[in-house]
Parts: sequence; C-alpha cells; structure tokens
Amino acid sequence: MNPVTADRRHYEDLAVGEVIALGSVTVTKEMIVGFAREFDPFPFHLDEKAARASLLGGLAASGWQTAALSLRMLGEAFLNTIASMGGLGFSDLKWKKPVMAGDTIGGTARIAALRRSRGHPERGIVTIDFDIRNQRGEPVMSLRLANLVEVRDPGRGEPPAHERSPGAAPSGGAAT
Amino acid sequence: MTRWFEDITVDEAFPLGSKTFTQEEIIRFGRLYDPQYFHVDPEAARHSHFGGLVASGWHTVAVGHRKMVDALFAEEERLRALGQEPGVSGPSPGVNTMQFKAPVRPGDTVTYTLTVTGKRPSNSIPGWGLLFNTIEATNQRGELVYHAELVGFSKLRDYRMPLWQRLALTLTRIPGLRKLVRR
Repeated sequence: MNPVTADRRHYEDLAVGEVIALGSVTVTKEMIVGFAREFDPFPFHLDEKAARASLLGGLAASGWQTAALSLRMLGEAFLNTIASMGGLGFSDLKWKKPVMAGDTIGGTARIAALRRSRGHPERGIVTIDFDIRNQRGEPVMSLRLANLVEVRDPGRGEPPAHERSPGAAPSGGAAT
Repeated sequence: MTRWFEDITVDEAFPLGSKTFTQEEIIRFGRLYDPQYFHVDPEAARHSHFGGLVASGWHTVAVGHRKMVDALFAEEERLRALGQEPGVSGPSPGVNTMQFKAPVRPGDTVTYTLTVTGKRPSNSIPGWGLLFNTIEATNQRGELVYHAELVGFSKLRDYRMPLWQRLALTLTRIPGLRKLVRR
C-alpha cells in the first residue's frame, strides 16, 4: 500500500462522465513574458509590438503555457485527489484561440474513458478531455490526456465490458 | 525566422541539442504546473512506482519546445551569414499526439531531434504553409523519453494573393465602404 495515496480515490472509484470543474487563472503580461523567456522565446510572446504584427494580433501566451496552467488546474482539482501514477501522454491538443495578456482561463475536464492496463494489473488508465475557455466563454484549448491511476484491488478483474466506455486513449506509453 | 516553407525538406532530421535536468529545476516546474508528489517531493516520490523524483512530462516537452525555438533562431543566423533572407515561422495550431515513454530523473540528459515529416499550404490562412513535425527525445542511455507529432505554420516565400482577394482587400480600405456594406 502506498502511504501517500492510500486515502485517495483509486481506479475503482472513478466513473466515465464525471465532470471536474477547474478553477481559473488570469494570465498577466508578466506571466506570459516570464514563461516565454524560459520556454518559448518567439518575439510574439515577448514583445507587444512584434506580437501585434504577428498572426496572433497582440501579446499572447505560449500555447504550452496555456497547457501547463490547465494541467495545474487539473492537478489541484483532480490529480492530487486520486492515486495518480503520472501521465502517459496526450492527443488532439488544439490551440483554438490565442490567450491574450489579461485573459482569464478556466473550464472543465471530463472523464472520457477508463480501462485497466493490459500489462500491469495494478494500473488503470483514465482518459480526460479538457475544455479550456476564456472569460468570454470562447474555447481556447482542448486536449485528451491519458493518466495512470492505481487500482486498489488488482486481484479483481476488469468490470464487464458494458460498464466501460469505448473512448480511445492515446496509444503507447512504456508504462502500460 | 527559419527557412521559407518552400525550402523546408521533408524527412531531414535536425538535432536540437541536449539538456541535463537538475532536481531543483524538476521541483520548480512541478510546483508551478504539475504539483503531483512524484514531481515535487523526493521523499514521498520513493513510494511511487517511479521509486523517486521524476520530471513532469510537460517539463521535458516545454524544454524540447525551447530547443526547437533556439534551433530556428540559429538557422536564421546561419542564413543571414550567407547573405540570404530567412523565412518566418508562426504559432502552432496543435499537437496530434504526445507519448511519454521513459521517466526523466535528476541528472538525466535528454537529447532532442526534430524531423519534418510532411508539409502542405494552409487552406485557412493564405500565404502560410503547415508543417508536420516529429520530435523525439532520448536519454543518455538511448531510451526514448517521448515521441511527439506536432503541427506548425511557416510562411510561403512565393505566395501571391489571388486577384479577387487583392481586390476585396483594396475595397475594404476605402473609407465608408464597410459601413455601406453592413447596411
């Protein structure tokens, strides 16, 4: 038994269709420039004048910053409340609209699928769909995340097929 | 920056360089963006199936992105040194797939390689092309850390706007006309 996660929800406690309300975060100019300097130093993430001349039309957050902030919201609202074993990856990440300086982003995450790992009976895979929106309710990013979660009782087999969702998780992942 | 859409060769691998991840960097990124115990707490992380602290996959990906941007700037400088005008790269519309394979532990060195696997002119944004990129990250033992398939924009050098679009653009510049159209 893992003492860190013993009291948290496990694979057996999760259900397809559960909607997780994410908090919100206002993305300031300082946050945008700080992240960009470290991870994405394109002029359109660093300099307002260059940003206005770019496809983005103004100072906008790196898409990776939007993703990282969304992940933090999921961590606080969900991943740190379950017996998470880390991410396997993600798919279908779409940056739909730039997040501009001063925008507030938030949204929901929904459990799209649950299945047991084939190679490791003590691991389950939870697939989570993100729907991130700005303060006007406009979608700014969506993605499908696959995360490992501990199975409380690995001796018991997979529940009957009709209780599972057919939703596809990203393939691969050495850990499965 | 970088090359023009027309000059980008498909299936050519570009080394993006390496990065050694320290425990401090792993914890700092984890606290900011992925505060799960195996990314922020070395003691608690021993109880995880990783057996110790590991970097957030998103941290290794963000560093890979930085490596790609650095490589684009280096290519721009190389072209300017040759007396050529570099191309322009734009923002990315998304990522098709990202698979985290091997965990990255403190002290691990990750090496990144980019391959353009395909390209086509954009249907939605005239004058720009779409690039389909693969980034693979490996550790010092040659194990695959992640495999990513990404999409990026690159500007066309030889683009000429169709006549009807140029005409439409000119018309929108005539004062008062837009108002008239709205009525």
